[in-house]
Amino acid sequence: MGFLEWLEQTDFGTWVGESLWAYPFFETMHTIGMAMVIGSLGLINLRVLGYKSELPLLATQKLLPLAWIGFTMNLISGLTLFASDAQHFWNSYTFRVKIVLIVLGGINAAILGRRVFQEPPAGTPPVVPTSGAKWIAASSLVFWFGAICAGRLIAYLP
Amino acid sequence: MEFLVWLEHTAIANAIRTTPWMYPTFETLHYVGLSLLVGGIMLIDLRVLGVARQLPLKSMIGLLPFVWVGFIINAITGSLLFIYGATGFGTNSMFYLKMTFMVIAGVNALAFDVAVRRARTDWVAAGLPPAYVKVFATLSFALWLCVVTAGRWMAYR
Repeated sequence: MGFLEWLEQTDFGTWVGESLWAYPFFETMHTIGMAMVIGSLGLINLRVLGYKSELPLLATQKLLPLAWIGFTMNLISGLTLFASDAQHFWNSYTFRVKIVLIVLGGINAAILGRRVFQEPPAGTPPVVPTSGAKWIAASSLVFWFGAICAGRLIAYLP
Repeated sequence: MEFLVWLEHTAIANAIRTTPWMYPTFETLHYVGLSLLVGGIMLIDLRVLGVARQLPLKSMIGLLPFVWVGFIINAITGSLLFIYGATGFGTNSMFYLKMTFMVIAGVNALAFDVAVRRARTDWVAAGLPPAYVKVFATLSFALWLCVVTAGRWMAYR
């Protein structure tokens, strides 16, 4: 018996699949976490692109805890939902696309953190995002919205 | 009920039923709209409540156009999804609960808007919302979580 099949058949996996409230509860948690991640990272990326330039660029980092809370909620709820139907998700190409998009979004966020969100030394002018940083921010928006679309389409596409 | 049956047999409903890509596309767009709507509202509410004070309150309230874009996307896609499945949705208690939460959230948002427009002391520019505005923000946050929750639970009624 493979790992995925074992996972589905654990007490936890069957509980998520069979309980009347577990699946909708974790799905709801996944939806709320999604809105938190998109709201906070979406605004940070738009700010790097120059939108709402009256927002102090470095201060938009204060929204990162919100993104982390949403991401953690979605990691927990996502793994839980995965456990209930592991073989189906693992074999779904759409699911794999979603995971790849999330990884790419995460890598982009880490690059932006290093390239843009570093306090400049005292006396130097404030950071202005380079065109490279803007490309990263723009592609991040594509990755995160792509992940939402792929996630929703797991139910419909192979 | 007759109205719901009629809705479900309109040309739009038939088009959605016979075109395989339509339903998944509208549902996906409903999630994109949800992210803009709820994501934007959460940012505004949390800023009013004192999160990320370094970000000017006025600019954060200025995110409302995003919220409206999300709302319009979801009003359109939501209506289309409803027309397609009118007899199911129209008899679903969770759907009515979701709509009720949305109406209350809408009235609350209107109260917030009036408070911003009629502010005597300029608390918006100062970034110091009075206590009653924080109550609106707390209610807004909670109500939209309820809208999302009831919406997700519709599939399980």
